[in-house]
Amino acid sequence: MIDEEKKKEILEKLKRAVINYDEDGARDAAKEALEAGLDPAEAIFNGLVSGMEEVGRLFERQEYFVPELLMCADALYAGLDILKPHMKKLDLGIKGTVVIGTVEGDVHDIGKNIVKMMFDVAGFTVYDLGRDVPLDRFVEEQLRTDADLVCLSAMMTTTMVGMKKVIDEIKKRNPKAKIMIGGAPVSHDIAEKWGADGYAKDASNALKEAINMISALKKLKEDAEAKAVSE
Amino acid sequence: MSTISPKERVLNLFQKKEVDRIPCFSGMGNVTEYALKKMGHRFADIHLDAKKMAEASASTYELFGFECAVLPFDLCIEAEALGCEINVYAHSEGILYPTIKKKLINSEQEMEITIPDDLKKKGRIPLLVEAIKIAKNRVGNEVAIGSYVLGPFTLAGQVMDLNELLKLSFKKPDKVSLLLDLLADAIIMVAEELIDAGLDYLTVREMGATSDVLSPRVFKNLIQKPLIKVISRITIPSVLHICGKTNQIVQFMIETGATAISVDQKNDLAESRKTLGKDALIFGNLDPYNILVQGTTEKVREAVRKCIDDGASAIWPGCDIWPTIPPENFHAMMEEIKNYKGGDRS
Repeated sequence: MIDEEKKKEILEKLKRAVINYDEDGARDAAKEALEAGLDPAEAIFNGLVSGMEEVGRLFERQEYFVPELLMCADALYAGLDILKPHMKKLDLGIKGTVVIGTVEGDVHDIGKNIVKMMFDVAGFTVYDLGRDVPLDRFVEEQLRTDADLVCLSAMMTTTMVGMKKVIDEIKKRNPKAKIMIGGAPVSHDIAEKWGADGYAKDASNALKEAINMISALKKLKEDAEAKAVSE
Repeated sequence: MSTISPKERVLNLFQKKEVDRIPCFSGMGNVTEYALKKMGHRFADIHLDAKKMAEASASTYELFGFECAVLPFDLCIEAEALGCEINVYAHSEGILYPTIKKKLINSEQEMEITIPDDLKKKGRIPLLVEAIKIAKNRVGNEVAIGSYVLGPFTLAGQVMDLNELLKLSFKKPDKVSLLLDLLADAIIMVAEELIDAGLDYLTVREMGATSDVLSPRVFKNLIQKPLIKVISRITIPSVLHICGKTNQIVQFMIETGATAISVDQKNDLAESRKTLGKDALIFGNLDPYNILVQGTTEKVREAVRKCIDDGASAIWPGCDIWPTIPPENFHAMMEEIKNYKGGDRS
């Protein structure tokens, strides 16, 4: 059993490595976590994700900008790649599969990649279709993978309108699938009008939304564990 | 009743002479779906044919009295000439702007590019030159003819992966600086060719360096110098356009030497006016989608009045006029500028 002091130290190292966009540091701390017998899920959520939460705050305060955000994400992935194979999948009552991409005509993928990162963290299986994705591809890929969730991203108004077609088509073929849309031109009204199940406005907003989502998942997990213990 | 032409009004404004009223024009693309339908062209067609491009560029003046003709409509001209492959979405019935399909630089090692001496003969530059001449013949006596080039950083984001560029601008600013300097040379070559074709003004679009993405500090240290290099070589009135958050960098934008700056709806224009003083030319800052496309005519009128009250030197949309703008909103914008006296500074 790992002692509290050591655990705290390693979690802090993971967190710092993400905030300081230190990929090597994240890798070393992740290895240390495994060697010390720290629960990989805890290392991810209370280490790497905590770091990303702080990055979100720095971004909001305009101390960090997009380049820093991207580098922090790289550091998070460096740690995640080591920890993830050892993490038990969360049992959330869903399959945990997501199809994600930027719609046709749009080559911007920063916001999309940040949301994707959070799904990776949560242990989802992510089918990333990339950017400038023909609309039919989303529908096909959802059907092929039976994904719980489809995430559509657009940074430009002209390409955003393509999302509606995808939402209509997926909802028609598989009413169970949830759809999340995001990007600068997207608004709450548009998401509602088009029948999307969730939305995120921009990269910082996506990060916040995604962290909220992860926190909710983390709580579900903790509740499930608490229940298991009490039974 | 005004007697001067839209062209004189715009040129006088650039020369900081008295104008009878604020002009309403743009430095970015401004074709409408309404015009495309009338002309019988698909959006994809107007990028590849000089005649259609020229016709489309004149359409907002001819149909709505917009006070300019600007061409081209996409952001891929320089990148294509440098060797990128583009996608014009020829199959698409709707409006999809051309994008870069294949980048020129695929790794950090490839960043020391060579700019071809005959750049002006490459890609669609000759087509654009021809289109400018046709547009000038068609409406050049009545309205100012404008075009645009990308700023070095925005062009860098077209010729290489944007995520990599952003990270390198932090990790290896010297490497990025070198690339921006090379691209500045390329942009100057393109700008000179376009100016020779008979332009009245040229916009430099550096929206990749918005404060939504890059810190004002990085703007000052990395972006400003190559922008100054480009703008110092523009021999006609120039406009530096950056969209998104810009309040913290308007001073740096003016320092580039551009005749005017253009900002979008995320800029607090009254604040910028305060920062830059009464003589600076600031163009903006109508919201091209939420107001001009989605808004009612009354919302459009309100927004125009606000721009004027905030101290805009000319009413510009924050970006391209979105092609789906309803004609009645376009008319409302033009009418309100003529009617609202708050903007009359004479």
